[in-house]
Amino acid sequence: MVSPASMPSALTFELIARCSTTKARAALLELPRGPVQLPLFMPVATQASLKGLTPQQLEETGCRLCLNNTYHLGLKPGQEVLEKVGGAHKLQGWNHNILTDSGGFQMVSLLKLANITEEGVRFLSPHDGTPMLLTPEHSIALQNAIGSDIIMQLDDVLVTTSPDTKRMREAMERSVRWLDRCIAAHANPTRQNLFCIIQGGLDLEMRKQCCEEMVARDTPGIAIGGLSGGEAKADYCRVVNTCTSLLPELKPRYVMGIGYPEDLVVSVALGADMFDCVWPTRTARFGNAITKYGMLNLRHASYANDFGPVEEGCGCICCRTGEGSLGVTRAFVHHVAAKETVGAHLLTIHNVWYQLALMRSVRQAIMEDRFPTFLKQFFFDKHGGDKSKYPDWAVEALLTVGVDLMED
Amino acid sequence: MASEKGSKLLFEVLGNVDTSNAGPRLGRIAIPGRKDFETPNFFAITSRGVTPHMTPDVVAAHTQFGGVHMALEDFIEKARKGTPPILTCPGPSILHRFTALPRSLVTLLAPRRSPAVTAPVGNSNTAVSIFTSTGFQSVSSKAYVSYMKTLRPDIAISLADVPYGSLPGTKRVAKMGDRTQLWLSELVNEMPEEQAVFAPILPIDFLDQSEYINYVADELADTVSGLAFYDSNVLPDIPATTTIVKLPRLSLDEPSSPAHILRQISLGMDIFTIPFIGFATDAGIALTFRFPRPLPSAETQTTNGTTLLPLGIDMWPSSHAHSLTPLSPSCTCYTCTSHHKAYIQHLLSAKEMLGWTLIQIHNHHIISTFFSSVRESIKNGAFERDCEEFARAYESELPEKSGQGPRVRGYHFKSEGPGEEKKNRAAWGNLGGEKQVGGELVPDEGADELEGKGFAEKIEA
Ligand SMILES: [Zn+2]
Ligand SMILES: [Zn+2]
Repeated sequence: MVSPASMPSALTFELIARCSTTKARAALLELPRGPVQLPLFMPVATQASLKGLTPQQLEETGCRLCLNNTYHLGLKPGQEVLEKVGGAHKLQGWNHNILTDSGGFQMVSLLKLANITEEGVRFLSPHDGTPMLLTPEHSIALQNAIGSDIIMQLDDVLVTTSPDTKRMREAMERSVRWLDRCIAAHANPTRQNLFCIIQGGLDLEMRKQCCEEMVARDTPGIAIGGLSGGEAKADYCRVVNTCTSLLPELKPRYVMGIGYPEDLVVSVALGADMFDCVWPTRTARFGNAITKYGMLNLRHASYANDFGPVEEGCGCICCRTGEGSLGVTRAFVHHVAAKETVGAHLLTIHNVWYQLALMRSVRQAIMEDRFPTFLKQFFFDKHGGDKSKYPDWAVEALLTVGVDLMED
Repeated sequence: MASEKGSKLLFEVLGNVDTSNAGPRLGRIAIPGRKDFETPNFFAITSRGVTPHMTPDVVAAHTQFGGVHMALEDFIEKARKGTPPILTCPGPSILHRFTALPRSLVTLLAPRRSPAVTAPVGNSNTAVSIFTSTGFQSVSSKAYVSYMKTLRPDIAISLADVPYGSLPGTKRVAKMGDRTQLWLSELVNEMPEEQAVFAPILPIDFLDQSEYINYVADELADTVSGLAFYDSNVLPDIPATTTIVKLPRLSLDEPSSPAHILRQISLGMDIFTIPFIGFATDAGIALTFRFPRPLPSAETQTTNGTTLLPLGIDMWPSSHAHSLTPLSPSCTCYTCTSHHKAYIQHLLSAKEMLGWTLIQIHNHHIISTFFSSVRESIKNGAFERDCEEFARAYESELPEKSGQGPRVRGYHFKSEGPGEEKKNRAAWGNLGGEKQVGGELVPDEGADELEGKGFAEKIEA
């Protein structure tokens, strides 16, 4: 095993509080463009824009770290424009932090003819069929041009449910080798934080080995990858739980592609800090509002005459009352949903706010050391107090960190 | 701002009211509970109660218009099966409450959208045809009165027998004035005194509606609060009685260019609804004109070998991809002070909804600035001269659209689009029908281009 010299870092991580029961933590992460509080949900502004919200509106939701997708920005506007414009922050007028993925996952999942070799991701140009290659070096160069505050290594992604253990091991080991190539190719380690991505599927032994190898590379932050691909939730929880136990205490832990409220609170209990998902913003487009009592589809006829706020007690500009609030009602969202984009914009504001507010209240509960109580209340609200409806995976996962949702 | 209760709309013509001359004029409108605004000015057009692309907080923070035009047909599709939800909305100010519109803005409620889709069935003696999200319906004068009584817009446009689509024949023309007169008298008789009602002026010759207009002038001049012109050319023929001259004049005439607006202002029009703002936005065209002349700093680019400046910039071409300048160098709108052309071009090209939002904010700002300069010009007695200078500086019509509009959702696009009507419509105006083409996720560039972009490299097969 190699043990390279310590990497430069462009962040500081301060552990503020630890839950005395679960593995949950509250931390302060100081990034190049300001601090963010962990645990944290990051909305996804795929193509340098969050579903019709102005950067100012996104800022007003409290967001200080959002995602851009490298694959999309690599296509539009492309590296050359990004370099001329001065990076993604200047492109979108966003002065807060940005995290970019490596682009590899989208490439593999969106381009049917992509396959992975030691060199990189090979694919046929969908336009003219020319064979092409995306290497770890390309991905890092592109992310350097984007200038994001957190960048991700290119990894060999394989769905966790793949039954091929040999291929899974190859992907894990290759991801470690690609991490070394990413570290070597990274031009701005003092301005951009490179996160490694732990691979190894659902094989806990393989995950352990990957953790050891990657932790030794000492990247500023660590992601747990290859999840949210259709595996059973119980398997997901085992992987997260296993990895967080092996990861250094004083580095941020990012679980990629997670965003359902239950998944978030359970993952925090298992020791994860950062999450991203397109779901809250994508679902807004279909008229869905996320609330603590579950999701409401406001296109349903039952909301046509409902003049209450989208969610009672929500602090977003749509729902809150008093000065400067909009007084948006469910009936109004119903009236414009799927007919005017403004309907989707309003729900996007609400849903992003919900996710960020959820994580703020999680953090507050951890700091006041009442996170187990918080979890119980959360599941109680979500399922109308009916414990028979609590998902087994969540009950089991929380039992492993000392919280029994079933006890009164 | 006046108090919420109290008298109805107050319109004050600033300066001398010259009853012999229908020239450009300055005015101020005050409505209880709303922000006063000076005229000439415009109302933003809404669709289902929203200014397209802009959430109410964006409207409040980044626009300057004084009011909005709403269409009853956007709210009553459920009327056939029951009570439209808006009627059960708690008040007061139901339109504001229902649409989350900032309270400072004036609401103007008309029967139909602007522009309106032509109905296959004409109006009858008691009802007009409208087009809702679920199809065509008719609204009787009785029902219209009842909607107005509940919704209580700041300004109610009375029902008019406007034949969208084909030109009316002689027989029809004869009925138009009679029907409109009857419906207007039914509305004003039923509405509380403090309700501001605008009397519609029909898009037919004055002589063909003189009986109706004389009725308004003789019987209702003290009762109605304004006139709403479906054709601005009738304005000079309106009897110039002292009371009629003091009424504010609203144009529903759908000007297709700033030159048309200026012409109507020169006739004495006060308030406008301007569909071309939205058409330009949807086409990805950023308006760039200023009245009466571009600022000295403005780019002096010319097109078509003439020295005329374009009225707007098509933001689709990739020539903007590197441009770090704002849409309009001197513009103080949110878009121009926060974002550059490169971003807006990227957003259009990526079909991100924010692209249209940013252009919409800018375009409404450009029009607000335009009207404020027009008022300044009238104040200085320079309006006629300034209009000539404007005509020498700018092209007469907006640029052609090249790019695709936003993904079409609106039901109002499903029909044949705005009716073929009386006047010229700019060639770029009709945006109906296109669908977003191409997936967002697969590169449409060739391998060389992808390599050039640094996206990936070509390899031997
Ligand atoms: Zn809300
Ligand atoms: Zn501007």
